[in-house]
Amino acid sequence: MAKAARIDTRLMQEGRRGNGALNASIGLGLVSGWAVIAQAVCLAQIVNGLSIRHGTLAGQAPWFYALAALFLFRAALAYAAEIAAFRAASGIKTRLRGALLAHLFARGPLAAAGEASADIAATLLEGVEALEPYFSRYMPQMALCVAVPLAILALVFPLDLYSGLILLIAGPLVPLFMVFVGYRAEAINQRQWDKLLRLSTHFLDVLQGLTTLKLFGRARDEIAIATRISDDYRRTTMAGLRVAFLTSAVLEFFASLAIALVAVLFGARLLHGHIDFYRAFLVLLLAPEYFVPLRGLSVHYHARMTAIAAARRMFDVLDAPAPPQGSLILPRQPYIGITYTELSFSYDGVKVLDRLNADFPAGKITAIAGASGAGKTSLARLLLKFSVPDSGHIILNGAHDLKDLAAEAWWPMLAWVPQNPRLFHGTIAENLRLGRPGATLEALRVAAARARALDFIEALPDGFETRVGDGGAGLSGGQIQRIALARAWLRDAPLLIMDEATANLDEASESEILDVLVELAEGRTIVLIAHRLAVAARADQVLVLQHGRVVEAGPPAVLLAGNGPYRALAEAHGEVPCAS
Amino acid sequence: MRELMRLVKLFNPYRRWMLGGLALACATILANFGLMVLSGWFLAATALVGLASYAAQNAFNFFTPAAAVRFFATLRVGSRYAERLVTHEATFRLLAALRVWFYERLEPLAPAALQSYRAADLLSRIVADIDTLSLFYLRVYVPLLTALIAGLLMAGFFAIFSWPAAVALLVGLALTGGGAPLLSAWAGAQAGRAAVRESAALRATYIDAVQGMGELLTYGAAPAMLARAAAGNERLIGAQAHLARLSGASMAVAGLVTNYTLLLVTLAASAKLAAGHLAAADLPLLALGTAAAFEAVAPLPAAFQYLGQIREAARRIFALADSPLAVAPPGMPAPVPQGYALVLENVSLRYAPDAPWALRDVTLTLPEGSHTGITGPTGAGKSSLINLLLRFNEFQAGEVRFGGHDLRAFGSADMSRFVTVISQRSYLFHTTIRDNLLLADGTASVEQLWHALEVAQLADFVRAMPKGLDTMVGEGGAKLSGGQARRIALARAVLRPTPWLILDEPTEGLDMITERDFLRDLAPLLQGRGVLCITHRRAPLALMRRVYKLAQGRLACHAKLT
Repeated sequence: MAKAARIDTRLMQEGRRGNGALNASIGLGLVSGWAVIAQAVCLAQIVNGLSIRHGTLAGQAPWFYALAALFLFRAALAYAAEIAAFRAASGIKTRLRGALLAHLFARGPLAAAGEASADIAATLLEGVEALEPYFSRYMPQMALCVAVPLAILALVFPLDLYSGLILLIAGPLVPLFMVFVGYRAEAINQRQWDKLLRLSTHFLDVLQGLTTLKLFGRARDEIAIATRISDDYRRTTMAGLRVAFLTSAVLEFFASLAIALVAVLFGARLLHGHIDFYRAFLVLLLAPEYFVPLRGLSVHYHARMTAIAAARRMFDVLDAPAPPQGSLILPRQPYIGITYTELSFSYDGVKVLDRLNADFPAGKITAIAGASGAGKTSLARLLLKFSVPDSGHIILNGAHDLKDLAAEAWWPMLAWVPQNPRLFHGTIAENLRLGRPGATLEALRVAAARARALDFIEALPDGFETRVGDGGAGLSGGQIQRIALARAWLRDAPLLIMDEATANLDEASESEILDVLVELAEGRTIVLIAHRLAVAARADQVLVLQHGRVVEAGPPAVLLAGNGPYRALAEAHGEVPCAS
Repeated sequence: MRELMRLVKLFNPYRRWMLGGLALACATILANFGLMVLSGWFLAATALVGLASYAAQNAFNFFTPAAAVRFFATLRVGSRYAERLVTHEATFRLLAALRVWFYERLEPLAPAALQSYRAADLLSRIVADIDTLSLFYLRVYVPLLTALIAGLLMAGFFAIFSWPAAVALLVGLALTGGGAPLLSAWAGAQAGRAAVRESAALRATYIDAVQGMGELLTYGAAPAMLARAAAGNERLIGAQAHLARLSGASMAVAGLVTNYTLLLVTLAASAKLAAGHLAAADLPLLALGTAAAFEAVAPLPAAFQYLGQIREAARRIFALADSPLAVAPPGMPAPVPQGYALVLENVSLRYAPDAPWALRDVTLTLPEGSHTGITGPTGAGKSSLINLLLRFNEFQAGEVRFGGHDLRAFGSADMSRFVTVISQRSYLFHTTIRDNLLLADGTASVEQLWHALEVAQLADFVRAMPKGLDTMVGEGGAKLSGGQARRIALARAVLRPTPWLILDEPTEGLDMITERDFLRDLAPLLQGRGVLCITHRRAPLALMRRVYKLAQGRLACHAKLT
């Protein structure tokens, strides 16, 4: 619970940044609450005057007019309070979403790799949305809960001591009891939120894999699994709700009982003329109003629990530290040479690179070969500054340690084509312009032609303006790869890092693209992570990686003539020339 | 309205739960009404008796109304609690039923009809839309019918005392519960649609941002993506602001009508009282009753807002569920194939009546147990051939026979019993390695799983993981390398000795050493079953006995590679 209280404090800090919109909505609610009391006085005067004093209708006219005016006033207040509450909540939502996404970017792609993207999206959307009732309902209600009942008590005590005492005792019992049951409800609620996330992740997973499920004849089985998960969800949620409903039932019980008690006690005294009707009727009118804010609290208490559970996830994201960043701003280097010295790196507790030494000379194509898991991808990730080495250095142009460099200064010097390139929602042209927003259509055409993508793009009905969907839906793997290559070339960077970038191409296209790559290498440093030796064969030098170390380095032809690990790789590929 | 009728029909098996919740909701409203009406009358009656003679005081029956006041108070608490439990329980049951219904409708449509839907969009549809639909009962059905039933009963009660008061109450209830919210729902329908749309778009943006973070950062596009997300958020907030203004106005108007109804009822009763046609104690009865009566219509504004969202969600869900099937399901159970030979004669296939032919006049015989390779450039129709054999897409011309029967007599579920596919696209579920393997054979023992992993050359890797078989593979297998993911697909095939094995670009994305080892270990698996290998790489074809070349949908004979 201490933790929930801390989250409350942090949420209220968020609320205070809302430029007073939150205070305005609370203030408007309070005035409206007090107007209800004035309204009850008017009504009691009318009924007392007519029913008991047998007055004339005309005699009550001033009270009728006052009542009509109060009603109008309250309508205006209600509207203004709603708008103020929405403004307060939406300001907070916007700020939180911005901060969360910015922090995710600061943490980099590897921090998010462990989590399902649907989970993160749900936290940013539904999670943040779940905070709205906290700010627009729960917090204003908290203020009403104190101010309105106190005002009513202040009015009732002088009118009738007994009723005042009944209300005084019944009122605090309600929040007290709610806090008592609330602890358990909160724990249950946390579980429910986790389930909701799992449910949405599960459904996305099932839908993405629906074809695979059908291939295994298991698609129908998922119905039973979906039913089971839904049932689990129902049971845990109902467990939470049963408690939440119990708190409101208790509240209703106290409220109803207090009203009944007030009525019966008044009845007994009225019967014997010990008290006058006006006072009794006014108290009876006010008694339900006394409980209205408290009742609202119980409704919105659930909103608070949902908000706290959601906020916990958000603060977890915000509190996770971003990797240390260098601050050195370096002008764009025309040539880039890189040296790895004694570099060690572990990922998920497994040592991937072990005191590795390597040299990537400027203006040359360097291929990295080696079996899966030899550390090829980690080597690239470190160069991209997505990870920080455990020890050792990556030296840029013999002068700067990469870890001192600001990422924002480093990234503009490179272009990266990952193993599975991502196409974003938008047109092909927008995707190509990712790294050069101002590129002309002519520049796009040149880059696309180089990546052998121009023909298929122009064959599409909308050409460069064709919209691509989620992960490039509608395009083949090879087409996505070519667009990614065109995107990289459009970037025109002195360093090009390609992670098995021709993996989805057939051999003919791969060969064409490698030809272009050799053209492009003029003046550029290229790092190729090679699965196929056709790729490595075009390089100026090959580094062969084994168990996180470079075991062999040199021009491919020389290595092939030798009898080392590269030769063994080549033989495995069946690519050894006939002469051998 | 048609969508809502269909929704109610879907919910029909749960109508007992639904009606039970409705009855309890009515009881709750009426109990509160009874409590307030009786209390008002009771105070005035006792006050009037108190002012009268001592004899009148003694003659007054104090205990029956006092007990009734306590009865109503207790009834209200009990019925409210029961109502909430029942209505929520019903809602969750409806939710489960909807999910299963939707999945059952969707499953036969996959993968053909789903190709145009984006994954993030689907997620939004299923989770958010289905959740929205399941709220129909709780947020629309119960409040609307409760307001109608309880409202009429309470107005009828008022009519005993004063017709004008009853009419004022009925009109007030109708305006507060129906008029104001309907007007704002009508005005808010568009904003409601926009909010659902913007929310889905924002989700797609967030998924783009998370999944493409590396590229966004290195290409300097992260600020643009943050700006895009911020703009998406602004649009969502804008749509929500419209809704908030409408709901604020609707609330204010509803409050105003409620209060003016109280004023009118009091005026009507006062006039009748002044004219001597109404007992004095009935004025406070009517005044307090009016205030209590409006509890019945309080949830209606929210109900009408939900109605807009629910209709939008229902329209989309039903549209997707009603998409035409790519392959008509066979009318009767699949015949037992006589052998497993596949014979294609002059087969043509295309994906739409105006699309180019993906397969054209293909004639091909795949005898039982034969090993056949199909090669050809990207887009030659290789995948279409697989979709045809798996009954994912219908062919338009020619004849295909499987085990001596027309292939059309088999559905995709039938074919999956005879065919296992190892593909570049074999999907890994976000669960453990164990569960991903059990997908192929739910009854496999732990030994069988390890054997499959040995054959797939993945056993060492799994053994090295701290959690072994219970290692989570990450979203879409993100925690495994491309090669490891492929080997899981191979291990699945080991667990599933079907008469046919389709290798769909089986070594795509693997380095050549891994490919060589993979094919070496694949070879023994091919013995004793038919294999169709579709690839543009050379190495896998070495395992095939016959190789054909496919180009632009047409099949050409091809010399056996040696």
